[in-house]
Amino acid sequence: MADQSKKEKEKENLSKAVSAPQAFLIHLISGLGLAISLWVAHNFYSINLVSHPSITLRLIWILESAIVILIYSRFRIDPQQCSYLKAVVRGILALPVGALVNALGAIALGAPVGIQYLPKTINWSLLMSSFTFAPAASVFGSSWTYWQRIFAQTKPNEPLEYMICIPAHGAVIGGWFGAWPMPLDWERPWQEWPICVTYGAMTGYLVGMLASSGFVLANGRRQRLKED
Amino acid sequence: MKLSIIITVIISAVILQIIGLSLFVFGFFPVKPALSGVSGPESFYYDDDGGSDSVANHTRASMPPHLLKSLYQELSGIHPSFERLILMVIDGLPAEFVLGKDGQPPREDFREAMPYTQALLSNGMASGYHAKAAPPTVTMPRLKAMVSGAIGGFLDVAFNFNTQAMLDDNLLGQFFRIGWKMVMLGDETWLKLFPGLFTRHDGVSSFYVKDTVQVDQNVSRHLENELNRDDWNLLILHYLGLDHVGHIGGRNSILMAPKLKEMDEVVKMIHLSTIQTRDNDQGKTLLVVVSDHGMTENGNHGGSSYEETDSLALFVGLKNDLSDYAASSCNSIYQVDIAPTLALLFGVPIPKNNVGVLISEAFDLLTDDKQLRVLELNSWQLLRLIQAQLPGLSCRNLPSHDGFTDGLASTIVECSGSMEKMLCCLYMNAINLHSSWKSKSLSRSTSRDDYSCTVAAYHQFLKTASEWLSRRVTDKPVGLLAFGVVAMAISSLTLLGLMICMSTEDQPGENQCRCNSITGWHKWSVNEIFLLGVMLILVMSMASSSMVEEEQYIWHFVLSTSYVLFLRKAVQPLAPGSAKSFFKLMKGQTERLDFRISSIILLLISGRILRSWHQGGVNWTYLPDISKWLEQAGVNHVRSIQLASGLLVISLSIFALFLFGFRRKITQLVGFCFLISGFLVLWYLYHNNAFVSASCDAAIQAQIIYAILGIATVGTFVALPWFIPLWFPGTCSKPNVKSTLVTFDGQCIFSLVEFRDSSYLIGLAYIICWCLLQLLLQQPVNSMPILLLLVQILSSMLYFSCSGLQHIEVEVALLYYMGMAGHFALGNSNTLATIDVAGAFIGLSSHSMFLSGILMFIITYASPMLFLLSMLMYISVKCTSYLANHQNVDSGHLAKMILGFPCLVPVGLNSILLTSYTIVLLLMRNHLFVWSVFSPKYLYVCATTVCIYVGVFVVAATEIYTCWVLALRRKKQISIR
Repeated sequence: MADQSKKEKEKENLSKAVSAPQAFLIHLISGLGLAISLWVAHNFYSINLVSHPSITLRLIWILESAIVILIYSRFRIDPQQCSYLKAVVRGILALPVGALVNALGAIALGAPVGIQYLPKTINWSLLMSSFTFAPAASVFGSSWTYWQRIFAQTKPNEPLEYMICIPAHGAVIGGWFGAWPMPLDWERPWQEWPICVTYGAMTGYLVGMLASSGFVLANGRRQRLKED
Repeated sequence: MKLSIIITVIISAVILQIIGLSLFVFGFFPVKPALSGVSGPESFYYDDDGGSDSVANHTRASMPPHLLKSLYQELSGIHPSFERLILMVIDGLPAEFVLGKDGQPPREDFREAMPYTQALLSNGMASGYHAKAAPPTVTMPRLKAMVSGAIGGFLDVAFNFNTQAMLDDNLLGQFFRIGWKMVMLGDETWLKLFPGLFTRHDGVSSFYVKDTVQVDQNVSRHLENELNRDDWNLLILHYLGLDHVGHIGGRNSILMAPKLKEMDEVVKMIHLSTIQTRDNDQGKTLLVVVSDHGMTENGNHGGSSYEETDSLALFVGLKNDLSDYAASSCNSIYQVDIAPTLALLFGVPIPKNNVGVLISEAFDLLTDDKQLRVLELNSWQLLRLIQAQLPGLSCRNLPSHDGFTDGLASTIVECSGSMEKMLCCLYMNAINLHSSWKSKSLSRSTSRDDYSCTVAAYHQFLKTASEWLSRRVTDKPVGLLAFGVVAMAISSLTLLGLMICMSTEDQPGENQCRCNSITGWHKWSVNEIFLLGVMLILVMSMASSSMVEEEQYIWHFVLSTSYVLFLRKAVQPLAPGSAKSFFKLMKGQTERLDFRISSIILLLISGRILRSWHQGGVNWTYLPDISKWLEQAGVNHVRSIQLASGLLVISLSIFALFLFGFRRKITQLVGFCFLISGFLVLWYLYHNNAFVSASCDAAIQAQIIYAILGIATVGTFVALPWFIPLWFPGTCSKPNVKSTLVTFDGQCIFSLVEFRDSSYLIGLAYIICWCLLQLLLQQPVNSMPILLLLVQILSSMLYFSCSGLQHIEVEVALLYYMGMAGHFALGNSNTLATIDVAGAFIGLSSHSMFLSGILMFIITYASPMLFLLSMLMYISVKCTSYLANHQNVDSGHLAKMILGFPCLVPVGLNSILLTSYTIVLLLMRNHLFVWSVFSPKYLYVCATTVCIYVGVFVVAATEIYTCWVLALRRKKQISIR
């Protein structure tokens, strides 16, 4: 019984799912948010990731998480029970939780532990959290089913889920690849922890957003074909 | 596929691999038959059979230096033209800077920077040569080549890692034997090479590459004082500054000209002072300015390009009269030619393994007969070396020329044929011409023509012989290498094919586990693909020298990533749909999932601590890590941690033992044995810390511990299968135990339960024994990592016990990777410098190369071996899940799955790494770092291969023995009933 009602609810959600142009717009705004924050850092504060990693990261994550939470809260799955404000609040609450998970993951994978790295790690993991956890929390709340399907099983099956799942995975995988140059002896300043990982994560996030736009487009076409 | 076929294929592939590997190693690292001992008086006369060698050695050993010196002089018949030698080594100076290239003068600014040296060269007081150095163009091998005239192979360097002292025959040793007093100022490499030879020395370190000024001032500050003293015969100056300038700014660095100027000042100072002292009765002084190697445009060196091998040899003072400018500056010699030239100039025997040829211009002042004499001495020495390489070569059996006195025409034989014949023939030509010249000179009828003919014949022989000898050292036999690589490739492809074949074939046996898989590829989840992708990553990273240097990063990164992926996999099936929030997750989940998740988290944490225990690698060793931090904290902390982790290891292993069943007598007995040996180890650690020199007492204690550990382990292995209680359908309360009888190809039958039990116990015994041994042998700071490795093994077993029977090969691969990551976590790296030599002498009362080699291997390969031994436990764990999941036993399938993979996968993966690294090494043979990075890594890869063979052999032997004994016992029991 419960299963059936849930399926119905899902269908209901699906019916008011984001359309392809909408998805594209959302991704464009998130991508522009990244670009703008980097531009602001460069032009107004004349800092960049290499010279002042923590401050730049803080600037990026504040802007990016604000954009992401405000946008994605509009597409919360349970608009009946949950107001827009509540969705925003749960997105904000998820930010530090996600940061903790990301930081623990990074440390487990070998991020340096130390007082001098602490601010960098915190800011980096907040940025990662705004790529991964914050939008998901705004949309899904604490529904374990969705979280499990999106992050543990990677089986998104509607446009909104694609839009959360693929960029998040892209950011994580991009960060993973970004860590590879770190042990090399090129003696470049960007080889320091979190700089190249951040570059990798941002690239992965952008690529993920492109891919998810593509998926949403393909999905929409399939839907239309089905309807025909 | 039958098990017997699988076993045959594995064994034949391994044998093929061993053959290929040994062929490759012998091809790539040629071990030249070097002559041992040192040249003595016997080098001044020629006897073909060398029978009087020992006598000569004996008489020489008891001879005081000054007598030996006069004996040499008498035997050689040449009075040394010089009494004192100043060897000035300018590190990294390309000869091009001083002599120019291809007949062109050197660059304007360099010529202006060295006015004095250029003046010496242009008025003929100095003769300079382009001395071609052999790769590797790094300082120590090049210094060795200069003083011994021999080109060392890589293995000579590798096998001498515990002693850097030069043991081969060399010039300095010869000088020391005739009583020379030697002074060394400069690079401390000389002090490492020749400990105790110098009466005075001031070594500087080449460690601070950024320092270009102080390093040379430290040499020059003593120079004036030394030049005024007359108590030395050999003064070595080794200036490092120019090499440092090169490393910082390359050839065109703005510091280069001032540095050359500084060197020129030194040459001027020495030369002026030698001219002054020439009139005193100290004897003449020869100044030889050499460089050990050149540098590339960027200032690097190590490889074999012209820029790097173009080193300088400059003789100042050979001719003191101003002569017309000889075009000798264009002459090109080999670096090894310096050794015989100096030996003959100073009247000492030429070092035994010299492959160089004397520089004839250096002997221009001698009379004709003396010149022929030095050529003869050099020829004899080279002939002896050739005879050592080609045993049985004797030039006497060539047709003798009876009428050689009649005329020159008949004595010169056109030389052709095989290399041996050719060398012999050239030698005989020269000797015959020489004796004909001698007999003519007695009758005073020599002509200039005869003489030059003889000299030419000698030079022809010397040149051919020297080239042949040096090619023997540096040449790589292509056929051997190709065959080795092909054999290894075939073997690894066979193993890979077998692995794929087995993993696809075995799936139909358990279709109930693959209900959600649709196609064949779909069943490969992310984890499996990742773990196989790791292989690809590793193979690719091997081609980059910095990745080879920092290999531990790859292993740790990849391993922790796979832990995270396993964690993700463990969360996947978590209550789909039943629990709707995080909070319910905390409460109502099955115990199994908790086990899985907590064991992975344990793996993650222990892996992270292991990673940060040793920084490892080459480039970032200075970064802080836990071991450095502990060592700074003090000895007492380290010791208390050592004891605590020892205690924890013991209690953890006893816990693991009694997890199996406390009440059984066998368990109690095994537990007791290891408890005793564990406490012995602890007691030993408590009483002997590594900072007190090992006493005889400690050695005996360690030997007792070795003995007890050995007896306990071997005893467990031999006796346990005989005493483990047999399960019978009647006596057992479990259902379907009858069906757990296992058949191996219809030959032996036994119950899976007892097999599982004995496998578990024996595996645990191996692991405990190995851990205790490591606690004893490893450095105190490494005892905690040993504990963590044990924790990793136990928690991975916990995880694998819940993970079902799919993808056994992937789990075995994970264990193998864990072993390799642990290898680096124990402080090992891909340089030979991190091998713990100190631990290799624990418990040895006398020096034994073999035993300490084995101990060194045990210490270095602690972790891979530990994880290989844990395969037994893994097999037992998998048997348990098999018993739990399957109603009837498909015996052949089981055997292949559970017994085949733990042996096949490590061998297969290692063979892939071995083969690809062999190919990488072959491709990189001309790389700058081939000797410093790639070759040591290859030695490690070979040693890992040996370790895998040993470990897999132990596992396989234990399994087969256990099966055999259990089947025998069951047969007996059945026949009794």
